[in-house]
Amino acid sequence: MRIKKLLVLGSLIVLVLTLSLAFTSGALGYYPLPLPNVRMLAYWYLNTTLNPNYPLFTAMSPEAVTAIVWDYRGLDTLFETAVFFLAIVGALALARGVPLRKASDSVSNGDNSRGLSLICKTATKLLIPLIIAVSASIALHGHLTPGGGFQGGSAAAIAPLLVLVIFSVFFLLDRGVSEKSMLTMRTAGLVGIYLTALAAVLIGMLTGLNAYVFQNQPKLNAPVGIPALFFNALISGTLFFFNVSEYLAVASGFTLALILLSIPEEIVKRFISGEVHE
Amino acid sequence: MIGLDTLTYLFMAVAGVISLIATYLAVVENDLVKAVIFSALQSTVYTVIFYLLMAPDIALVYIPVSVGLYPAVILFLIKKTESTEGDLERSGGGSK
Amino acid sequence: MNELNIFLFNVLLFCLFINAGISLYGIFARPSLIKKIIALTIFSDTANALAIVVGYRVWPSREQSPIPPVLTTTKPSSEDISRFVTQAVDPLPQALVLTAIVIGLAVTLFLVFLTLQVYRLYGTTDVRKIARLKG
Repeated sequence: MRIKKLLVLGSLIVLVLTLSLAFTSGALGYYPLPLPNVRMLAYWYLNTTLNPNYPLFTAMSPEAVTAIVWDYRGLDTLFETAVFFLAIVGALALARGVPLRKASDSVSNGDNSRGLSLICKTATKLLIPLIIAVSASIALHGHLTPGGGFQGGSAAAIAPLLVLVIFSVFFLLDRGVSEKSMLTMRTAGLVGIYLTALAAVLIGMLTGLNAYVFQNQPKLNAPVGIPALFFNALISGTLFFFNVSEYLAVASGFTLALILLSIPEEIVKRFISGEVHE
Repeated sequence: MIGLDTLTYLFMAVAGVISLIATYLAVVENDLVKAVIFSALQSTVYTVIFYLLMAPDIALVYIPVSVGLYPAVILFLIKKTESTEGDLERSGGGSK
Repeated sequence: MNELNIFLFNVLLFCLFINAGISLYGIFARPSLIKKIIALTIFSDTANALAIVVGYRVWPSREQSPIPPVLTTTKPSSEDISRFVTQAVDPLPQALVLTAIVIGLAVTLFLVFLTLQVYRLYGTTDVRKIARLKG
């Protein structure tokens, strides 16, 4: 078996080297790779991402990728968040009715009898604040350095995962981190995203000017904008508030999915066979 | 001395070959826990490729998602269901 | 020297193509549902990597590599911006890949919950046995 695996691997590597040699010497047609210039659309995005000379086209953010995700193509991100929420709704629907707190073991000596050894628990207690601090730094600086809401949120979901594995799921449930509270936090993050997206429209309706949804800086015939500087510090208008709300929403969404996945199997079996009701 | 550009491209090529080996071993492995570990190794090599192609945003997303969350979720799933993929008669059908 | 650089870049490109082929074989031919999920994640990651490879550019000079699309000052002058445009990689594929990673994650999470429910109701995750169950 091992000889066969080694033979197949060796032949795959030889295949890759031969194909690339053929492509380099022009046997499979000629196409210049890597490309000598970026495309015309990239010139536009790179020129106007932080350019005080074009105040009507710029996005006032030195990070081009975050500006594209939340300002130039903000509606794509809105629907991506909606797709993620649909997956969580599907997972919640599959686990509806299963009582998580009832029928837990009657003989419970508290937290000391559950989970892994003392060494693991002490090391985890030191790591959890560090993980949350690093993820908050990634999320809140998303408009200045590589990072943003989704990056920080998925890094912050590693902390509840560690607590779930090393302590137990009942440790989290006893301290109030349950499905309902995580769902509430996720809904609060989504409401934050919606309010920030409609902020320019609300200001426009109150003062009678024209404004668009997801608008960041003033445009040609829509002179409403969120200010980009806050006492000489760059917050890039709506990008900062989008990053904070997305951080909350993503971290609590992942925690909810992990809690649903760690329900002990005997509770579910008794629920499916009809012994335990809601 | 080798120039800086040749060195960068050499790193990219070596990372590509390592990811090929990890993918093949992940797909043909019968023990599912080992397959998940090979898949995490492949994701780490992909992060190196993303960094060399000057995409730090994607590398920052990729590490928590592909090395932390995917293997954790699939390991939960393996613990609750069967843990080897085998022949028709050998793998059990009972609950665990 | 230029030939060697292009050859090494093509090695990376064809490795990604062969990865896509192997993971497709894994989705079709392996009988366990969990192996199919693992191969599906490898396939979507390879597709994202191909999208980012398209956004790379040729080195502006022998000593100056391309830079990521992030400005390093908050008050740039005009020559800062024009130098930035000639050296930075394409930011648009990176934004699209960010969206694609999130959507792939949502689909995989839902597939995992479905597999768990199939195991709870039928007792097996082997597609050959499930096909013989007759409903």
